[in-house]
Amino acid sequence: MKQPQHSPHVPYAAHLIERRDLSEDTALFRIAPEPGALAELSSFVPGQFVQLSVPDAGEVPISPADLPTPEGTLELCVRRVGHVTDLLHKLQPGAPLGVRGPFGCGFPLPEMAGHPVLLLAGGLGIAPLRSLLMHLLRHRDGYGEITLMYGAKQPKLMLFRQELAALAADGGMRLYLTVDFAPEQLDGSFSCALGLLPDLLKGFRFDAADTYAAVCGPPPLYRCLISDLEAGGVAPDRILLSLERRMRCGVGRCCHCGIGQKLCCLDGPVFRASDLKGIPEAL
Amino acid sequence: MANNFLKISRLDQFLETLRLFGELHAPTVSESGVHRFSPLEDPDELHLDYRRTQIPPKKYLFPFREEILHYGGGGYREGHSSAGDLVIFGVHSCDLEGIAYLDRVFLADRPDPGYAARRSRLTLVGIACEPDDFCFCTAATESASCDLFLSAGQDGYHITSYSARGSALLSAADHLLEERAAQPSPAISGPCYPAQDPELRFSDHPLWQKFASTCVSCGACSVCCPTCYCFDVREYPTLSGGGTRIREWDNCLFATHGEVAGANFRPDRLDRLRYRFLHKYCGFTPLQGMSSCVGCGRCKEFCPVDIDLRELTVAPEKVEP
Repeated sequence: MKQPQHSPHVPYAAHLIERRDLSEDTALFRIAPEPGALAELSSFVPGQFVQLSVPDAGEVPISPADLPTPEGTLELCVRRVGHVTDLLHKLQPGAPLGVRGPFGCGFPLPEMAGHPVLLLAGGLGIAPLRSLLMHLLRHRDGYGEITLMYGAKQPKLMLFRQELAALAADGGMRLYLTVDFAPEQLDGSFSCALGLLPDLLKGFRFDAADTYAAVCGPPPLYRCLISDLEAGGVAPDRILLSLERRMRCGVGRCCHCGIGQKLCCLDGPVFRASDLKGIPEAL
Repeated sequence: MANNFLKISRLDQFLETLRLFGELHAPTVSESGVHRFSPLEDPDELHLDYRRTQIPPKKYLFPFREEILHYGGGGYREGHSSAGDLVIFGVHSCDLEGIAYLDRVFLADRPDPGYAARRSRLTLVGIACEPDDFCFCTAATESASCDLFLSAGQDGYHITSYSARGSALLSAADHLLEERAAQPSPAISGPCYPAQDPELRFSDHPLWQKFASTCVSCGACSVCCPTCYCFDVREYPTLSGGGTRIREWDNCLFATHGEVAGANFRPDRLDRLRYRFLHKYCGFTPLQGMSSCVGCGRCKEFCPVDIDLRELTVAPEKVEP
């Protein structure tokens, strides 16, 4: 018998498995959805988002920080910035949650296959790019050189830094880290450049014509990086940007996430820089 | 059954027949003098010569506030729609086209359960209108997006059926109808400003600055628009545990509309005005390229600072920045 279609409004039940603090206001939440969610979640493409429900607070769009496990477990990297995320940060393991999705368009993986990929993350922008990075590393032979450039305000705000260093040590990717400033004494296990992400990119030699760049960070970062990447020879339709909007419904109806004539929840959140030209409010 | 004619003297009986198909709503006037669609208790309250209601009939399909989910005990459940059968009588073509547009939004792809439930129980009876200075529709004669449509003739109405339900209504009212050949609809004499290449109008046109300098972001234009459907979603816990998730009309002219954590993508009034009218005239995915302005004239009539968007949509040479 054909199952009735799951309503687009109704989240699947889920619960919090564990949380791991990554910085003073950001944590990684591992979430177990009910088995019914698995069919939809298993279609996840890095860059897509899910709608996470925190009962009594509401719902927020979050781009998972890794691919769902075969059991459907999700890793969501969330900063405490508002009503919903505040409550999420107070929850204990076992707390009930809800999840809908995935929604939107992720990174165009089939098109990127065989090409070098340059990932540029600023601050919390590492979260959606981490799921792409994990996919690339797990399918290492399917892609060209993989490079991650990651900038944070200061060392203590750099998320996943030990994990990223370990991944780089395995030889699967090149890793460049930079911080805007370093007020703290750094221990020997951590080294990074001092300066902004565009500075890091300036000194970088790569095969720009063949490369796909994936960028995620605060809006001002996009503006500098897009022009630098284009000037360096990366085609605008190969500059992939993961944009943030406050999607309420996720299915193209609430109209909060319009960018020009596109909707972030259906056409994005991953857009090509070439598709955003001439849209003043895009970045 | 063609050429159905209802004499005006039998209108009250016809309305009684419509009641067999659901609760009857029609244009009436409130105590404060505002035209509105409301339950029709007494046929004497009917105001069929109205120009436009303040709030369009979208309120029946897309209520101002609606419980969409209940939660508690570890899970979320669909909110129960309590929609009963409803007949709306006396809807103008522009509002019928507005509903047809909302159908595209809420019934396509993954249909919205609440909207779909209400829509399936809704009977629409349209009526021809007489445009006034605020109207700017392009096809005011007769909309087929209804079950029945009435157009005025000598001492009564010619009735056309556009659906199986419409035919059922006519059968039920058969004893009230007589056969009379329909007259061709008279040409609309009111002003008409079809949009001319609207995408051009959404560049850095100086008119946007002019509008933004007077707009007070009250949001009246989108509240009264038959095709505005932005909504916000909120969650309200109860003291006994569990709670409700509601959705309610939102307004893209409000400063909060473009907010994300720590930023706002439409901080200025000009951005928000343009966002609204870009959506209205050019459409968002998946209805990109389709204008959803039905020309009802409400946004102009109810704007407290007299912004007239038709200035943007008339031919470029007529625009005086």
